[in-house]
Amino acid sequence: MKQVKPLPISKSTVTKILDRYSALIVTLVIIIIATMVKGTDFLSVQNFMNILRNNSVIGIIALGMTFVIISGGIDLSVGSVLVASGAVIIMTMNATGSILLSILAGLIFGILVGLINGLIIAKGNVPAFIVTLGAMNIYRSVCQHFMKGGGFTSTSPTYKDISNGYLFDVIPLPIIYFLVCCIVMHLISKHTRFGRHVYAVGSNEKAAKLSAVNVDRVKILTYVTMAVCVVIAAIVETSRMNSINATSSGHFYELDAIAAAVVGGTSMAGGRGSISGTFFGVLILGIMNNMMVLIGVPPFLVGAVKGTIVVLAVLLQKREKD
Amino acid sequence: MSKRLLEMNHISKSFGGPLVLNNVNFTLEYGEIRALLGENGAGKSTLMNILGGVVNANSGSIQIDGSPIKINNPSDAQKHGIAFVHQELNVVNDLKVYENLFLGRELRKNGILDTKTMKQMTKDVLDRMNVHLNPDDEVRTLDTSYKQVVEIAKALLQNAKIIIFDEPTTSLTNVEIEKLFGTMLALKKLNVSMIFISHKLKEVIEICDSYTILRDGIVVTEGKIQGGESKVTIEDLARHMVGKDVFSHTVYYEREFGQPILEVDSLSFPHHFTNLNFSIRKGEIVGFTGLLGDGRSEMAQCLFGCYRHYTGDILFKGQKTLINSPMKALKLGIGYVPRNRKENAIIRHLTIKDNFSIVMLKKFVKGLFIKGREEREACVCRLQQLNTKIGSINDLITSLSGGNQQKVVLSKWLESNPDLLIFDNPTQGVDVGAKNEIYSIIMELSRQGITIMLLSNEAQELIRICDRAYVMYHGVIQGELGRSEMTEEAIMVLATGGTLN
Repeated sequence: MKQVKPLPISKSTVTKILDRYSALIVTLVIIIIATMVKGTDFLSVQNFMNILRNNSVIGIIALGMTFVIISGGIDLSVGSVLVASGAVIIMTMNATGSILLSILAGLIFGILVGLINGLIIAKGNVPAFIVTLGAMNIYRSVCQHFMKGGGFTSTSPTYKDISNGYLFDVIPLPIIYFLVCCIVMHLISKHTRFGRHVYAVGSNEKAAKLSAVNVDRVKILTYVTMAVCVVIAAIVETSRMNSINATSSGHFYELDAIAAAVVGGTSMAGGRGSISGTFFGVLILGIMNNMMVLIGVPPFLVGAVKGTIVVLAVLLQKREKD
Repeated sequence: MSKRLLEMNHISKSFGGPLVLNNVNFTLEYGEIRALLGENGAGKSTLMNILGGVVNANSGSIQIDGSPIKINNPSDAQKHGIAFVHQELNVVNDLKVYENLFLGRELRKNGILDTKTMKQMTKDVLDRMNVHLNPDDEVRTLDTSYKQVVEIAKALLQNAKIIIFDEPTTSLTNVEIEKLFGTMLALKKLNVSMIFISHKLKEVIEICDSYTILRDGIVVTEGKIQGGESKVTIEDLARHMVGKDVFSHTVYYEREFGQPILEVDSLSFPHHFTNLNFSIRKGEIVGFTGLLGDGRSEMAQCLFGCYRHYTGDILFKGQKTLINSPMKALKLGIGYVPRNRKENAIIRHLTIKDNFSIVMLKKFVKGLFIKGREEREACVCRLQQLNTKIGSINDLITSLSGGNQQKVVLSKWLESNPDLLIFDNPTQGVDVGAKNEIYSIIMELSRQGITIMLLSNEAQELIRICDRAYVMYHGVIQGELGRSEMTEEAIMVLATGGTLN
């Protein structure tokens, strides 16, 4: 009975990564050479810390986005929800003076937002694109109305320490938050029932349903997870700025998060993707951004170059043969 | 030299590893219907893909009309008059018949679509095939057999000389199969040659002129079906395909049954089934069959919790129960191996192990996380019990053959220790050898006390292993047959709405 054969691993992780990101690696190498020729300080530790810190907010959102996309959905509302939850957090803080209470309020708000999105998508059978497109407009516009187009600033003297401190005086705290989120999300995706179900639902919803998987619950939970990620990102963002702005905060975050996930190998059709992939996706996009600044690409053109690279990268990536 | 339509000589192919095709010769006469037979993995698809230009052979040559040709890609194949009619029909449901026929090569006059000529040409082709179909009909409204007709007509319109039918009858009812065969015979009169790939040997004998059997990439035998002096039998063909006798042993044996486990009282669901009444005892194997639109699959899904607003009563283990979700069905002890494995049962981005544990994942979770070792051991153990041939349980499920995929699907339900297992077309797309294995497994499960509902469109399947059978017709149970009364004729009479005696 207990004869268990040794289980061969099909392909080494290194080859897999090389396979998947070959195009990006080539692009990166070219940019790195260009940067070195220009003689910038790209390769300094300080610069790398900056890259990671500047991308930790998008990174945390991209982790949740990865789950949503793997499950076969999409969430366009993350930028607006970041503003709304940021506003809830700072309002609560200014009213009560308690950081703990305000974070709790933010989380409750986020979970509610995720539940509403998820319920309409799963139970109401409305396409995720439409539901979250609507949510994106609703939260942004309501925030702009109540914040009169401006922003809220925190009056707490210590709130900004959450994001502006350092671990061992070297590593900026936002990087730590991002890494912790990566590890937690990786564990959820690979080693829990919920994670397994996310992949199953995204790959073949019908088969998952006929395997007695509670498909609706899985979908709703993915949007709740997404929203919790957004709230964590909102905490990092608001404490770094010590404020939130209804008009300028969180702009295009949904697109950056989707780009990071997709560059990291997540399939828009659902069923495929990984947290480790998204981690690299965030890193690669961040490095590209940084290097374009260092090389001296005109700031208004950075978006154009970035967009081109993302589309090209995914175009060149090995796609699934069917 | 006598002229043949097609000669494939000394074709060899390997995908890096062992030879998938080894020095294969394949010929086709004018107006011939030739069966290409073999188990899954024997090399049939590879050979046909070489002919269709989807893959290139490592060595060998192809001649059409006596002159050597090169087929490097699908459009080369099309140019030489080779057409595929696939198992999954490639028709666009939202378009009309003639629009489908001219899809991608629409005729234009002065820059706008020449609808009149296209419709006329469609009508001509359909007339030649001897089918009555309105070019203006929307394809969505057609039966599956007519959708197939549309595909064949499309091939003819492109002047196809060779049509490859890849398991064309799997999704057809018996009446539709007869229609398809009628069309094939009409094509034969037009001097079109056909290659017929099927696991249904009875049909092969009925429609084909000759056969070629592949096993492990080698042609084991070929010949005429009606050879004059010696007639080929199903058993002959099956023996060559598998390499041993498969029909000689009977799988069925008598068993004792327990208390009624499932009792269904006037179960109805609008448009699908009405007023179903039946009762199944513990350990019984009960068959359900009928033609397309009989409602049996919907009934099975209803028992599995997919139609929660049903009316009528379901008594499970003597207790009246509301089965309103698959989760509830699982909790009660009901398992369901659905039809159309690819669509309904396989999660193609997941590994064999993950597909296995999806139903009972809860069992392997300790605290927050899945215990990987327990999961792997359970998976390997179950798959070994069912004699499943796999490389590694971490391979994708799609790397397996149909029969082995089905065993993984079955094993995931066995892990839940079900009291009732519902099989819907369990041997669809499964080769002869694996078919017999699945029958033996079902017998063994019922011996262990698991109750089986076997839904099938193959009468033979029910006759081989069922204790009783219900035949359905348009959503009602038309009749019940005991084991001794089960014949293909009796089943057909009931399935077409008739009554016995």
